[in-house]
Amino acid sequence: MNNIIQYVELSIRRYKSGQIDPPSFQTFKLPIEVDANLTILDCLEEIRLNQDATLMYRHSCHHSSCGTCACQINGSARLACTTQLQQLPMDQVITLEPLNNFECIADLVVNMEGFFKDIHPEWSYLKTNKSDDHPLSPQGTMAWQQLEDCIECGCCVSACPEMHAGERFMGPAALTAINRQCNKSPRERKKLLTQTGGDRGVDKCKRVLACSRVCPTRVYPSRHIEDLRRQLKKKEQMWFISLNAL
Amino acid sequence: MEHILIIGGGVGGALAHDLTLRGFRVTLVERGALLSGTSGRHHGLVHSGARYILHDLETARECFEENQILKQIAFQALESNDGLFVALDDADMAYWDRFIDLCARADIPTKPLSTSQALHLEPKLASTIKGAVQVPDASMDAWRLPLQFFATAQSNGADIQEFCEVQAIYVSNRSVVGVDIRNHRLNRIERLDADLVVNAAGPWAAKIAAMVDLQIPLQAVPGVMVSVPVRLNQMVINRLHPAGEGDIIVPQRNLSILGTTAWMADDPDTVKIPPGHVSNLIDLGSKLIPEVSQLEPHAIWHASRPVLAQGSEHDPMRMSRGFDCVDHAAHDGLEGFVTLLGGKATTMRAMAEQTADLICRKTGRETSCRTRGVVLKPYRSYYRTNAR
Repeated sequence: MNNIIQYVELSIRRYKSGQIDPPSFQTFKLPIEVDANLTILDCLEEIRLNQDATLMYRHSCHHSSCGTCACQINGSARLACTTQLQQLPMDQVITLEPLNNFECIADLVVNMEGFFKDIHPEWSYLKTNKSDDHPLSPQGTMAWQQLEDCIECGCCVSACPEMHAGERFMGPAALTAINRQCNKSPRERKKLLTQTGGDRGVDKCKRVLACSRVCPTRVYPSRHIEDLRRQLKKKEQMWFISLNAL
Repeated sequence: MEHILIIGGGVGGALAHDLTLRGFRVTLVERGALLSGTSGRHHGLVHSGARYILHDLETARECFEENQILKQIAFQALESNDGLFVALDDADMAYWDRFIDLCARADIPTKPLSTSQALHLEPKLASTIKGAVQVPDASMDAWRLPLQFFATAQSNGADIQEFCEVQAIYVSNRSVVGVDIRNHRLNRIERLDADLVVNAAGPWAAKIAAMVDLQIPLQAVPGVMVSVPVRLNQMVINRLHPAGEGDIIVPQRNLSILGTTAWMADDPDTVKIPPGHVSNLIDLGSKLIPEVSQLEPHAIWHASRPVLAQGSEHDPMRMSRGFDCVDHAAHDGLEGFVTLLGGKATTMRAMAEQTADLICRKTGRETSCRTRGVVLKPYRSYYRTNAR
């Protein structure tokens, strides 16, 4: 780390119900020590602690595990904690806005309730990891436990053009969770597939692939949606075959 | 029932859970987002207790007990793949027998492994290791596991208020009667009355105590963590030696997290990562798993431990990670105010139990703790009931 001080400007969309309402942008100028690892989240912390204690944003783990700090950075849905300033054009003003397609609670904080509407709370968040490098677990089985890759940050929902207001679509994150659950729990598959074939399901997806492009943990929701489409098609074919056999 | 106000949205979640199960009315306020201080920001180790075995047997024992409980009540957000304590050289091997013996005294199960057995489980370990001891470590999702406490507390009636920062504590006749909070969402000051206020602000607890002119024996001890963008190991890899810097690699999802360092800080709000800490972690981590040295960091961050500043130990790595809850009526003649001091994420449930026991004694309630056996709600249910 060296001590070269540089100024960076962040324009943040502020909103406080009844106070900064409608929302408006506020620019903060920050003296920063040039450091390759400095992130947007570090800048938000700096602003809150030294310039404006009323600035609201979510954060927790600081290493892309919790998924709480997602926002739009220069118009693109990303995690503040792993977006380094040096990845952005620092000579220009950096804009920060809350995620798109979510209700804004205040400043960069959005309401996540809708995000979890189609993801059942009881669904497992663990998977088994069959690592080629690690053939044997301590129990002598092939099953290492691993938390799911999807950190439920909302970036995919923010980027999805089909999620805009008024459109009734389960969305890429919920469909990804449903596909995972279909694989983990075959007895639920039929019911879940029926749901994804409904009017809020996979047909709403227009294959723009924005979800996969912005996903910070490489879950690639569009692949899960395609997988669901294949399973639905297979289910339909099976239905026709059994109908013809009658 | 009495209204208990908890300051701090970290370990306070476990306390809110315990108190609601005992029938208390609970409000929790957190100045920022839930778990944005220390409790959500660590490397995610669920200690088996073995890390502390050489210098803090009591904490080691506590950790193992809580490790076993968390695996039963909060399994949704845990990777239970055990851990290895790896001896890199003859100096580490000198601790081998004592390590196993002390683990046995703390009831922590161990399984000694030869070099080839350890490398079979974890092929990326340095091939020159002398051996390893398997222990029941685990990794947690540092956000989702504690969120399960909040989800359960909320479903049992706790009122959880994020972005509400305590500005002042009200005292009447030498008794705390409530607080003023700044509600950042609505940008206004609100008064909250309470029968008892619990200061559970972790390393920020000294700032809260100072609002009623109290000093508490608390030291903020930040540590640096570095994650690399590859899951190098399946088990938690520790170095078999007395607790020191850079002696752990915790796997989580597709990352491995190198921990950690320790130094004393005056203010957890102004912590900056000191020069040399990141390269030191990479150097030390690569002694355990050489591939670490070939990877660029994915994220670099720090978190401040709240450490009980008691006893004669001044090495921040070896200071006790135990906890205490202070009844300020007994200590300072101030009623209605309790501070939760020290502790760590693995022992958050036990910290809550002890504090809730104290609150029961103070309020004359004879309700016993039930949190050892109550399976926590899934973390996602936090979003199902009006959570903001």
